[in-house]
Amino acid sequence: MRWLVQPAAGARARPPVALFLVFAGLALAGLAVQRLQAGGLSAAGVEAFYRGAEGGEPLSAAALWEEVHVGAFVYGFVLFMLSALAAVAPRLDGVRGALVLTALAATLADLFAPFAVSARPGLGALRVATSVLASAAMWALLAAVAVSQLRAWRDARA
Amino acid sequence: MRDPRLAPFRLPALAFAAFLLVQAGSAAALFALKLGGSPAGVSAFYLGDVERFTAPKSLPGLLEVAVPHLAAIPIVLFAVAHVVIFARALPARVARGLATLSFGAALAGIAVSFGVRYLGPALAPVKVAAFGLLEVTLLAWAALLAAVFLPARAEATARARPEAAVGAVRSDGRVAGRVHRKERGRRAEEVAK
Repeated sequence: MRWLVQPAAGARARPPVALFLVFAGLALAGLAVQRLQAGGLSAAGVEAFYRGAEGGEPLSAAALWEEVHVGAFVYGFVLFMLSALAAVAPRLDGVRGALVLTALAATLADLFAPFAVSARPGLGALRVATSVLASAAMWALLAAVAVSQLRAWRDARA
Repeated sequence: MRDPRLAPFRLPALAFAAFLLVQAGSAAALFALKLGGSPAGVSAFYLGDVERFTAPKSLPGLLEVAVPHLAAIPIVLFAVAHVVIFARALPARVARGLATLSFGAALAGIAVSFGVRYLGPALAPVKVAAFGLLEVTLLAWAALLAAVFLPARAEATARARPEAAVGAVRSDGRVAGRVHRKERGRRAEEVAK
């Protein structure tokens, strides 16, 4: 954080920030593929994954918590880094708070939605909605940070 | 907030604190569900249990858990300790102690899993203790982040009575509130200059 609060160091930090954004994008893409494997974008598919298809075994409580545990690390760390970069991006003044708060709420909802799907039938659509919203919110934040970095780089070169 | 330069990082830091709590909570749930939360449960998990028809953990099985944790836990602890120490939320010695305790508990927790499996069940209580200590330190770091970045009563005081706010230099040259000795000296010197 030390270099983040010193605007003069921003130029030196740009290459690692750009590389981090690439990896953050890959992590989010990987999460999206994992979601597609876990029922995809259909409510019935999600329910079958968590509650068991046609008399199959539902996912255990430990498996649900494991998903929360891993997801909290990926979402938590990527969101922390992106929101810290957004905090020093001057052109995001009007939208920064909304972007970060939406991403925080959507990712937390996405982490805990499987418990609702497991507890009650007919809630597969909830997980689809939280997955789409969390993914969209994180991608929006990443895009905003990337555009702001790109503009800063262009301004510095001009 | 002690340092106005930290104000833009309020949301990122509080979001990180929220995810720290989720990580600590989910880890506790997993520890209770998979390892039973007791030394006997830990022994049964690593050494196998005839009654539950479970085999002892294999080396690849142990490594599958240990390797991601050897990367993830230090990254999380490094990030949170870095922010809290940068914000000077604690005296330097206390912050160093808490960081050492957190990293030590994390390392002990990972190492003792191998110890229980290959040295014996006598180490199971150490696993429980190390996990408990890591959980407590994670909660402490999250609480410190909240204490530094939540809009605090101290800020309201600072706005209403700037002289009474913690860390403010009063008209008599003394620093208000419980501020570390070295920090008090530094701020008093700054005002004197």
